[in-house]
Amino acid sequence: MTFRDLVAISAGNLSRMKLRTFLTVSGVVIAIGTFVAMVSFGAGNQKYISEQYEELGLFSTLQVHRLSKTAAGDSTQARPLDQQALNELSKIPGVRLAYPFDAMTVTAALADSQLSAKAQALPLSAMQTRLFSQFRAGHSFSSDSAKEVVVTPQLLHLFGLTHPDSLIGDTMVISIRVATIDSGLAGLIPRDSGWIRQQVRAIQFDSLLQSAYRQRQAKRLTNEAISRFVNGFFEHRAIVKETLTVVGVLEERGAGRTRMEPIVLPVAIAAKFRSSGLSDDPSALFTAFSQGTVFSLDSAASSRSYPQITLDIDPNVPLKAISDSVRAMGFEPFSFAQMFEEMQKFFFYFNLALSVVGLIALVTASLGIVNTMVMSILERRREIGVLKSLGADDRHIRILFLVESGVIGAVGSVVGILVGWGVTRIASVIIKQFMMKSGVGPIELFALPLWLILTAVAVGIVVSVAAGYYPASRAAKVDPVEALRNE
Amino acid sequence: MIRTNKVCRHYIRGPQIIKAVDEVSLAIEEQEFVAVVGSSGSGKSTLLNLLAGLDSPTAGSIEFRGTTLNNLSRRGLSQYRAKSVGIMFQSFNLIYHRTALENVELALYFNGGSRGERRTQATSILERLGLADRMGHRPADLSGGEQQRVALARALVKKPALLFADEPTGNLDQDNATQIMALLSDLNRQGLTIVIVTHDLEIAGEYAHRMVRMHYGRLVDHQSEGHGGEA
Repeated sequence: MTFRDLVAISAGNLSRMKLRTFLTVSGVVIAIGTFVAMVSFGAGNQKYISEQYEELGLFSTLQVHRLSKTAAGDSTQARPLDQQALNELSKIPGVRLAYPFDAMTVTAALADSQLSAKAQALPLSAMQTRLFSQFRAGHSFSSDSAKEVVVTPQLLHLFGLTHPDSLIGDTMVISIRVATIDSGLAGLIPRDSGWIRQQVRAIQFDSLLQSAYRQRQAKRLTNEAISRFVNGFFEHRAIVKETLTVVGVLEERGAGRTRMEPIVLPVAIAAKFRSSGLSDDPSALFTAFSQGTVFSLDSAASSRSYPQITLDIDPNVPLKAISDSVRAMGFEPFSFAQMFEEMQKFFFYFNLALSVVGLIALVTASLGIVNTMVMSILERRREIGVLKSLGADDRHIRILFLVESGVIGAVGSVVGILVGWGVTRIASVIIKQFMMKSGVGPIELFALPLWLILTAVAVGIVVSVAAGYYPASRAAKVDPVEALRNE
Repeated sequence: MIRTNKVCRHYIRGPQIIKAVDEVSLAIEEQEFVAVVGSSGSGKSTLLNLLAGLDSPTAGSIEFRGTTLNNLSRRGLSQYRAKSVGIMFQSFNLIYHRTALENVELALYFNGGSRGERRTQATSILERLGLADRMGHRPADLSGGEQQRVALARALVKKPALLFADEPTGNLDQDNATQIMALLSDLNRQGLTIVIVTHDLEIAGEYAHRMVRMHYGRLVDHQSEGHGGEA
C-alpha cells in the first residue's frame, strides 16, 4: 500500500463525511490562522528592523566610546577619544573609515526665521557610507570645504516646512556665538587698581598663623577668581557666521544610536567655528574644564575629545577581530551586528510567545480531531474488519487513520495560512491608515516568510497526527472476528 | 495443504468456559472441496476463522503447507491472509461507499503491485464473473447474487491457494445460490482448494467432495465422496 493509496483512501473517507470534516478542518483553520497572524506580526517587525539595518549599513558600522569608569577601573584614567585615537582606529585592518561625532550648538537662519539647533560635522567620505547616503531630496555636499549644508527632516519640521525639495538651493546662515579664553583670562585680573591694596588691608596678618584662617582666605580668593574668569568668558562673546547653500535633505532617522543632528556641516566649516572659540553653551565650558582642554581650545584641535567615533568596517573582516583591536586600544566598541543578534534572540522569544496563542487554539482543535476520528472508527469497525480479513495488519490500519488525521491537518493548515494572511492584510491596511494620520510613514508590520509557512504546515500536521494517534491505535487493535460479527 | 491438530478455541465468559471449537483435528488436501456443516452455534464459523487466520486457537495447532500458523506474528498472519487465502462472507461484507471495482481492488492493496496492475487484475476477474457492466456500481445498486459475485471476485483476485466461504449462499435465493455454488465448483475443478461453511446439507452434499459435521464445537462425522466430485 503506497502513501498515495493511503492519501486517496483517506481523502475519500473524509469527503464522505462532509459536514463533520468541514467542522473539524474549520477548527484547524482557525487555530493555524491565529498562529500565522500572531507570528506574522513578530516576523514583520523582525523583517522591518532587519531591512533598516541593511539599508543603513549598520552591519558594517561599529561605534567606539570611551571606557566607562567601571570598565576602566578606579586606578586607570579612561583614554580620551581624540585625534590621536581617531588616527589609530582608522589604521585597524578592516576599518575603511573612521570619523568622530562632532556636535555643536548653532543658530540657523533661513529667510526671515532663525532658530537654535544642533549641528554635527561629517567628512565627505562618511556621507558616502550607507548610513548617510539616503536623501529625501538633493545630495551630499561636494567637498569637505564646500560652503554647503545638509539638513534632516527634523530641521524642516522646526522651520515648519513640509516639502524637502523647496529647501534645496536656499541659503542658510549658520552662526555660532563663541566666548574666547582671552576674555576669561582678562577677567581674572580685577580692573580696579585699588583692589590689591584692599585685599592686603583685609588680611589679618596675625591670623595667618592659623591654618583655618589661611584656608578660608584661599577659598574666598579662588571663588572670586573663578567668578571673574567665567563672567569675563561669557560677557565678551563674538558671533561667527557662515552663509551656506542647502544641498540635501537626508532621510528621516530614528532616535537612539543612529540619530543625527538636524544640521550636517562639512568638516572645514565646522573646524572654522571650532577654532573661533568655545561655544557659549555653559556645558561646553564645563566639558572643557573636565577634560582639561580649556587652555588648548584655540590652537590644538588634536587635544579635543569626541563623545564617539564611528567606524565603517569591511564586512569581509571578522567583526570580533576589529572589536578586539578597539578594546585593546582602551576603548569600548559597540557593534550593531551584535545588537542585531541580541534582537534576533528577543524576536525568537517574542514569536514563541505569540505562537502560544495559536497553539492553544490548535490544542482545542486537536480535541475535535480526536472526536472525529473516534466517531469514524466506531462507524467503520466493519470496514476495518474487512480490511484485516483482506490482509491489512495493525500497522496498515494505524497508518490509514493517521494519514486521515494528517490530511485534516494539512488541509486545515493550508487554508489556515491563507485565512491568517488575509487577516493580517486587513490589519495592515487599517494600521497603515492610522500611521498616516499620525504622520508616521506607513510601515509594514506583518510578514509571511517561507519559514512561517513551513512551520505552520508542519505544526498543523504534527498536532493533527498526534491527535489522531490514540484513535488510530484503537482502530489498529480492532479484532476482525468481532468487527465482522457486528453486522 | 492445511491441517489442524486438536485445535481449540475456548472463550471465558465469567465463570463459564465456552468451547466454540474443541480438539478438532482435520486435514484438507490440495484441490479439495470441503463443506463444514452443522447447526447454528456448532462452531463451524469459528473453525473457519481459525483456518483463515482471522482468529488464533487457544490450544492445538494449525499448519498450512508446513508453516504453523500459531507461530506467526500478527503481521505474519496478515501476510497469510493477504497472500494465501481468500474469504467470502454470508453478508458479503462489501464496503458500501466503494464501487464493485474498488471493492475488488482493495484486496490487492496489501499484496504489492502498482495501481495500474491492481486495476487490470480487478477488471479481469470481474469480467470473468460476468460483472463487466457492474464495475462502477456501488453494492447498494447490485442484487444479492451480484454482490456475492463481487465478494467472490474480491476473494479470488489475489489468486489464493485456499478459498474460505462462510455461508456463501445464506443470503441468496435459490437461483443465485446455485449460480454461486456452480462458480465455486468450477473454480475447484480448476485447482482451487475450497472450504465452505454451510448449514445447507443439500448444497454441501451436491458440491463438496467431503462433508465434516460439527456439533458443540467438536467434529462428529466425516463423510467423504459427496456428489461434488462427480459434478
